[in-house]
Amino acid sequence: MPTAIPRTSTLPEDLFEFVMEWKEKPGNLIMILHRIQQYYGYIPQPVGEEVARITGIPGSRIYGVATFYNYFNLYPPGKHRISVCMGTACYLKGGETLVNHISEKLNVAVNAVTEDKQFSLQEVRCVGCCGLAPVVVVDDNVHGKVTPDKMDEIIEDYRNRGEDDG
Amino acid sequence: MAQSVFCLVCGGTACESSDSDTIYKNIKTQLAGRGFEESVQVVKTGCFGFCEQGPIVKVLPDESFYVQVTPEDTEEIVDEHLVKGREVQRLAYKEPGAETISRGHQISFYQKQVRVVLRNCGFIDPESIDEYIGRGGYEALGRVLSDMSADEVLAELETAGLRGRGGAGFPTHKKWRFTKAATDTQKYVVCNADEGDPGAYMDRSILEGDPHSVLEAMAIAGYTVGADQGYIYIRAEYPLAIERLQMAIRDAEAIGLLGDNIFDSGFSFRVELRYGAGAFVCGEETALLKSIEGDRGTPVQRPPYPAVKGLWGKPTVINNVETLAGIPVIITKGGEWYARLGSETSPGTKVFALTGKINNSGLIEVPMGMTLRDIVFNIGGGIPDGKAFKAVQTGGPSGGMITEEYLDTPIDFETLQGLGSMMGSGGMIVMDEDDSMIDVAKFYLSFNVDESCGKCVPCRIGGRQIQKLLERFSKGQGRPEDIERIETIGNWMKQGSLCGLGTTAPNPALSSITHFRHEYEASMSTGAAEEGAGGEQAAKNEAPAG
Amino acid sequence: MITMQIDGHKITAREDQTVLDAALENGIDIPRLCHHPDLTPSGGCRLCNVEVVGSNKMQPSCTMEVSDGLEVITESEGLYDHRHSIIDLLVSDHPLDCVTCEKSGTCELQRYAYKYGISETSLDFELGREEKVDDNPMFLRDHPYCILCGRCVRVCNEVVGADAIQFGDRGFDSYVATQFDVPMGDSSCVFCGSCVQVCPTAALTHKSRIGKGREWEFDRVETICGYCGVGCRIEFAVNTEGAEPDIAYAQGTPNAPTGRFLCSKGRYGWDYAKNKERLTTPLVRKDLAYELGLTDTPWQMPETSPLSAKNTAEYFVPVDWDTAMGIITDKLTQAVREAGPGAVAGLSSARCTNEDNYLFQKLMRATIGTNNVDHCARLCHASTVAGLAAAFGSGAMTNSIGEVRDADCIFITGSNTSEAHPVIGYEVNRAVQSGATLIVCDPRHIPLAEKATIHLQSAPGTDIHVFLAMLHVMIRDELADMEFVRERTEDFESLEKSVTAMDPETAAEVSGVPAADIERAARLYALGLRQDGDSRYGGGVEGRGDSERGRSSILYAMGITQRSNGTELVKTLANLAMLGGHMGKASTGVNPLRGQANVQGACDLGALPNVYPGYQKVTDAASRAKFAEAWGSEALDEQAGLTIVEMMRAAEAGDVKAMFFMGENPMISDPNIGHVEKALRSLDFLAAVDIFLSETCQLAQVVLPATSFLEKEGTFTNTERRVQALTPVLQGPGDARPDWRIVAELGRRLAAALGTPQEQWDYSSPEQIMKEISSVAPIYGGMDYGRLGTKGLVWPCPDAEHPGTPILHVGEFRRGKGKFHAVPPRLSSEQPDEEYPYVLTTGRMLYHFHTGTMTRKSKGLSWKQKRGYVEVNEQDAEALGIADGKAVVIESRRGQIRARARVGATVPSGVVFVPFHFKEAAANLLTQDENLDPDAKIPELKACAVKVTNPAQKKQTVKEQ
Ligand SMILES: Nc1nc2c(c(=O)[nH]1)N[C@H]1C(S)=C(S)[C@@H](COP(=O)(O)OP(=O)(O)OC[C@H]3O[C@@H](n4cnc5c(=O)[nH]c(N)nc54)[C@H](O)[C@@H]3O)O[C@H]1N2
Ligand SMILES: Nc1nc2c(c(=O)[nH]1)N[C@H]1C(S)=C(S)[C@@H](COP(=O)(O)OP(=O)(O)OC[C@H]3O[C@@H](n4cnc5c(=O)[nH]c(N)nc54)[C@H](O)[C@@H]3O)O[C@H]1N2
Ligand SMILES: Cc1cc2nc3c(=O)[nH]c(=O)nc-3n(C[C@H](O)[C@H](O)[C@H](O)COP(=O)(O)O)c2cc1C
Ligand code: SF4
Ligand code: SF4
Ligand code: SF4
Ligand code: SF4
Ligand code: SF4
Ligand code: FES
Ligand code: FES
Ligand SMILES: [Mo]
Repeated sequence: MPTAIPRTSTLPEDLFEFVMEWKEKPGNLIMILHRIQQYYGYIPQPVGEEVARITGIPGSRIYGVATFYNYFNLYPPGKHRISVCMGTACYLKGGETLVNHISEKLNVAVNAVTEDKQFSLQEVRCVGCCGLAPVVVVDDNVHGKVTPDKMDEIIEDYRNRGEDDG
Repeated sequence: MAQSVFCLVCGGTACESSDSDTIYKNIKTQLAGRGFEESVQVVKTGCFGFCEQGPIVKVLPDESFYVQVTPEDTEEIVDEHLVKGREVQRLAYKEPGAETISRGHQISFYQKQVRVVLRNCGFIDPESIDEYIGRGGYEALGRVLSDMSADEVLAELETAGLRGRGGAGFPTHKKWRFTKAATDTQKYVVCNADEGDPGAYMDRSILEGDPHSVLEAMAIAGYTVGADQGYIYIRAEYPLAIERLQMAIRDAEAIGLLGDNIFDSGFSFRVELRYGAGAFVCGEETALLKSIEGDRGTPVQRPPYPAVKGLWGKPTVINNVETLAGIPVIITKGGEWYARLGSETSPGTKVFALTGKINNSGLIEVPMGMTLRDIVFNIGGGIPDGKAFKAVQTGGPSGGMITEEYLDTPIDFETLQGLGSMMGSGGMIVMDEDDSMIDVAKFYLSFNVDESCGKCVPCRIGGRQIQKLLERFSKGQGRPEDIERIETIGNWMKQGSLCGLGTTAPNPALSSITHFRHEYEASMSTGAAEEGAGGEQAAKNEAPAG
Repeated sequence: MITMQIDGHKITAREDQTVLDAALENGIDIPRLCHHPDLTPSGGCRLCNVEVVGSNKMQPSCTMEVSDGLEVITESEGLYDHRHSIIDLLVSDHPLDCVTCEKSGTCELQRYAYKYGISETSLDFELGREEKVDDNPMFLRDHPYCILCGRCVRVCNEVVGADAIQFGDRGFDSYVATQFDVPMGDSSCVFCGSCVQVCPTAALTHKSRIGKGREWEFDRVETICGYCGVGCRIEFAVNTEGAEPDIAYAQGTPNAPTGRFLCSKGRYGWDYAKNKERLTTPLVRKDLAYELGLTDTPWQMPETSPLSAKNTAEYFVPVDWDTAMGIITDKLTQAVREAGPGAVAGLSSARCTNEDNYLFQKLMRATIGTNNVDHCARLCHASTVAGLAAAFGSGAMTNSIGEVRDADCIFITGSNTSEAHPVIGYEVNRAVQSGATLIVCDPRHIPLAEKATIHLQSAPGTDIHVFLAMLHVMIRDELADMEFVRERTEDFESLEKSVTAMDPETAAEVSGVPAADIERAARLYALGLRQDGDSRYGGGVEGRGDSERGRSSILYAMGITQRSNGTELVKTLANLAMLGGHMGKASTGVNPLRGQANVQGACDLGALPNVYPGYQKVTDAASRAKFAEAWGSEALDEQAGLTIVEMMRAAEAGDVKAMFFMGENPMISDPNIGHVEKALRSLDFLAAVDIFLSETCQLAQVVLPATSFLEKEGTFTNTERRVQALTPVLQGPGDARPDWRIVAELGRRLAAALGTPQEQWDYSSPEQIMKEISSVAPIYGGMDYGRLGTKGLVWPCPDAEHPGTPILHVGEFRRGKGKFHAVPPRLSSEQPDEEYPYVLTTGRMLYHFHTGTMTRKSKGLSWKQKRGYVEVNEQDAEALGIADGKAVVIESRRGQIRARARVGATVPSGVVFVPFHFKEAAANLLTQDENLDPDAKIPELKACAVKVTNPAQKKQTVKEQ
């Protein structure tokens, strides 16, 4: 699909390069969205629209795809992303309790961000560590056999990290 | 100097999450510090399966099996065992209740297992193509390309009786034949690594522990059906598997085992990765293809089947990771050898992810036809805390509950279906007396409702209706007619839905009604679902010792 | 063909049919909701499920392919229960308030709820979608009523190609979304309303219908769209309860030859009809009125240009028809008497019917006695008529619209198809979606370039180099169909010689198109190669040894014709088609997309200075004699008359003294309007028939009110030569009269005054006029109102039995052998230079039609695009400091305009584009009227030199000083 060759783009250079590299490959959209999310932590609307412009992929499709898949966020997550596994093994071993606990402790709903933007909370499906159920993934780190008390420690740990480098 | 001592450190995700990487590094530096780096080979392997006890370190040839190792323990393992040859009793695994230490193959968790698909997992460094080749890897591909015609490969698979491990159990050779017969010049091979069943991680372990086995099989498939391009559709939630696959592809390409003109045979085959993005339905093959095409993962009515009209409209073989991983051995050891494993209708082995209320949570591979009792009580070591077994759910959110009275059924594709459940991808969740079956059914239904793509009416709306009814029961507000309603709507979904997600989505609810109708009835009188379902209590009990 | 059984009936079906299609074709109705005959099957609603004998599973019949021996059952107890369950489930997520619902009566959900006796759900009621979105003047999106059948999404993607909507979220929460949920107007929606048309429920509703009545209360009237040359058939739902009929909404019709979908103008552009500015009575300008004693106050025509004048209605006084007609008769008679018939000139109209045009040229020729009659085709496809007549013997689309869908390769050049002929654009989109290749050669990145296999982005005026190089490659690489060349054509040798020097590299240098792209395009076009999928005709697959040449079709329009070498360009396209053997077969040919609704007909019926109806030359004595006899004239003018631009020059020179315009607005549409204004002001007399007081009317002394296409009878001939009948939908406003009646009345009066036979003007209906047409124009010989029906008839149709001719030149060209023409690579006449460094190209945009008299008064269309604009390349904008949406000034040697910049990558660097619809930023103040194409006399509207400045910057520098 020949697209008008954009000579200017609002995307950061490396992202632009990635998009241009994938542009000609069939079935590129999901890979591009992954890259954007990796970059921003979510898919910002202007970036989605810019990708539509430079790739010729309809914006409606980008949106349809971004909202279909749970993995993609359309809003910025907190500084630390807490993902509580709600796969079967974890559910049976108290995943839901953990969600409620975190939600109360941080005063944050599922799929929302705390007021201070430090944490966002989400539920995920099995992360493949069922032997360690219940599992909580914070950012990219897996924490197994988590109890509410242990969860408190984990949160404090990240909060302090947050202050250190924030 | 020959390295006769091996120290295997589990590098599966579960263990890695508990610092196995540090353990691996510690051991390496500490050995070097003591001048032993030449005599002991430290290998970071794929998952040992026994995740419950991770991180695990294994020392060969002693078959010492250290569990729940921490980075602080490594010094002792190095000094005592690797340097002085004295087993560290403190860390060695003991069977529950047993006084004595169990060595690797003696551990009952492993004893009844037959490792075909997991043959290399936990033995080799998955990041080393040489180790794979060292254990006979790419021999099958070599043989296929130099000595075998496509028809001979198909005949071997037919003899083996290999059936798809993705859930449906469709004979692999038949699928391949359809694609081979298509006249199109462009065809594809796709590996389904979407593994969406929550509570199952067989495919992940294979990809993390033995990525080349899947690549090799895909190339064999490509040769057989006439495809030159393969895609692995893998969950983005599996970063380690992705990394290892990427490395494996790079390595295989570097030495000409993938790419143009492999083994000078004129056959070319490339593999690329495409990531999933958190949609269970994308495990369904037509939805998966849509997703690779960069679209919403909504299933398409079959026929036409992907084997005839698949990716970008071209004939496409889609196989599950586990299905593929078995193929190289079938080629090298022969279809007959494979057919002898397993049951009459379902030859071979099956990998299960055994989790839930069970002592030995982990990944197991057993011959088809083993009884559930064997799996739960022998391999799995029974139910923790002396609780009573209540049911086991197979087939994940598409499956059903199997109760005590059916525990002696030898399991295969057909028997599980006969029990109102299904094989699915291999999740096996054990529930104990504390678990409320209404809650479990509600959990699965909510999962299915969340994961429904929404394309067809029965699944989109029917699932939601059942979910609401179950929510009502779990709050003790169910009405007598609601049980029948669940069954009615469930049947609408089974009959009317477009894809396997919708046709099986009501199964957990229906089977809970079949086996635990009394819980539904009781909830109406007590005003609430049975208490103590999973939750807090269990979480507290499970708190790790160290 | 295969044989199968449905409900025990043996039926035969085509292999590629679905069970549902086969059933419907055989009169077996299967309930269905997500299915739509024009869209790919979805299989989502599950209502059409049937049982397959021998299998225990139900399957949707809409996705099931027929197969030999298949037996299906469409009704059974189990299926009844299943379908009942589907509707039960659907209405559990649906308001079901049919009593007040606009869709009640045509709603498909309601129909099935009735059929299965469901008045409310047996389940828990819960809406998955709650929002009602009211974000545009055309349609409402009422999500709670949506059943997620996906028809809207599919029509938008598969047919329209706008990709404006998609499902968002998933599962129970799914809904139909725009990109990032932006308002419809900010999405890529083209407001074609196709989604509304296919929506089975009230989830999508035309706003125009709200409160106008219930479905069963509407009358339904079908007529032909009066905007572009596609000639869509439109069904209007009309409320006839009030004093005057009132349109509720417009709909495409399934039996229409151009398909059942419309574009935004056909769909929503009908509300001009009730605009209060419509002309309702004849008008006389106050200066003339005073002169004739019709008013007491002297008055002088102001100098202000009509482009900026305000309250111009006050220039005129209303008079009755008799007075107005009397004045025109007197004035024209006077001009003829004083300066001869040649001092009178007339512009007929492509907006008007065949019958109107026939009478108009008859008036000029037989009654006034001059061939000075022309119309906007001069500015449009004059070069086509000349070029294709020379190459093939007939200057019209060689093939029909419906064939485009099945082409293997489509070559579009100089046609912005999806904006100017949107419904043909849909056909192109469909072809591409099913695997055809698309080559676009256009300096601009038009919407279809986005879907193209190759976009040859030649600099304006350099496409000729690309075409010649393609011919070069086809000969060099032996891609030509030499058998066709030998048997069907002549003068190949001269062509061959003429292109030897134009290799792709040379062409690349001039045009900026990479040589490799030219080579690839030549190959794809010559061999008719597909990108994918199977050809309807079995060819076009690369590398398949037994495969035959695929079918390639050329579509072109103003980018080719509005050029100083337009005729040569047209001949070059003819060369390409003949060399590839792509002529005289379905889905091939050279297809000029004619612009106006009836421009084809206006040409056919002789509203041209050189031909009588049916393209019979005025310079041919036999033709002259024939028409003189038919029209009872003693002698007819022997010389070809003046063309539009020549008329304007003659008027300025004083050679033409009086003019009569019917449905033309040259004050906006002619090149160099400064010049036009001078010419028109210098006339002794100008009369104009129009439906609004156009900028041209404002310069006329007498203005007559006409009824518009929605209000009249007659026929239009669309771009594929299809003659179709209009049916009045509304009443004309006030005293407005149909054009044919006006011309006939004038004819009667002028005949009396000039002494020609008056009985020639006794017309009582358009049907009667068509009878006369068919007796004098052989290509219309078989046209008869009784035969037109809903499909019309395609000329040539010589006699009453002839079925019409959708494909021309089958077996033999109309001129015998097809003729190759050697053509030199000429550039456009006004090249950019230091002073005027940019190239201006002009043209159209989707929502407005020409001079905007109608579309700019349409609520929806003008909401979508209110003002004029200039497309500027992003790099140029940066260099000039011009921001998107900010004003720019464009200046040529002839004038200057100011408009907002639309900065982007649509035009390449060095080029600006201005749509000519907006009088406030009139493109034609800039365009040139010299350097006409020597054969066709068409002006070069597609290229002139301009400078581009940033007015803000000027101001700033002033401030700084
Ligand atoms: N919406 C709408 N539709 C219309 C009309 C309208 O006013 N509005 N008018 C109708 C009429 S009467 C007509 S004639 C048609 C016209 O329909 P089109 O001819 O499709 O419309 P244009 O916008 O005039 O020009 C077509 C294309 O020519 C390209 N072009 C410019 N210069 C060159 C060049 O040097 N070489 C080539 N190859 N291409 C060039 C332009 O970029 C533009 O994309 O549309 C008809 N349909
Ligand atoms: N710069 C530039 N100029 C161009 C072009 C270009 O591409 N660029 N394109 C040229 C082309 S291709 C064309 S076709 C012309 C079109 O130019 P015109 O034909 O002048 O444009 P229209 O707006 O269609 O004007 C026709 C007039 O007819 C009136 N009318 C509509 N319906 C009826 C009716 O039923 N009866 C009567 N009596 N009057 C009616 C309208 O109100 C309007 O005033 O413009 C040309 N001008
Ligand atoms: C809802 C649904 C989810 C599925 N998920 C998976 C999956 O995660 N992995 C998988 O291999 N197959 C999955 N399947 C099965 C695939 O559709 C397909 O049958 C399989 O990949 C074929 O491979 P096999 O023949 O090797 O089993 C799923 C099917 C359905 C209906
Ligand atoms: S059954 Fe469910 S997941 Fe499958 S197509 Fe229907 S709605 Fe989608
Ligand atoms: S959309 Fe149809 S079913 Fe729904 S309220 Fe309107 S008429 Fe009734
Ligand atoms: S109006 Fe046309 S373009 Fe807009 S959403 Fe509907 S179908 Fe798509
Ligand atoms: S808006 Fe109408 S056409 Fe679109 S999905 Fe909903 S019901 Fe179907
Ligand atoms: S394509 Fe042309 S004829 Fe059809 S609706 Fe649009 S303007 Fe009217
Ligand atoms: S269920 Fe939580 S990791 Fe698998
Ligand atoms: S019409 Fe066939 S499934 Fe909807
Ligand atoms: Mo035109």
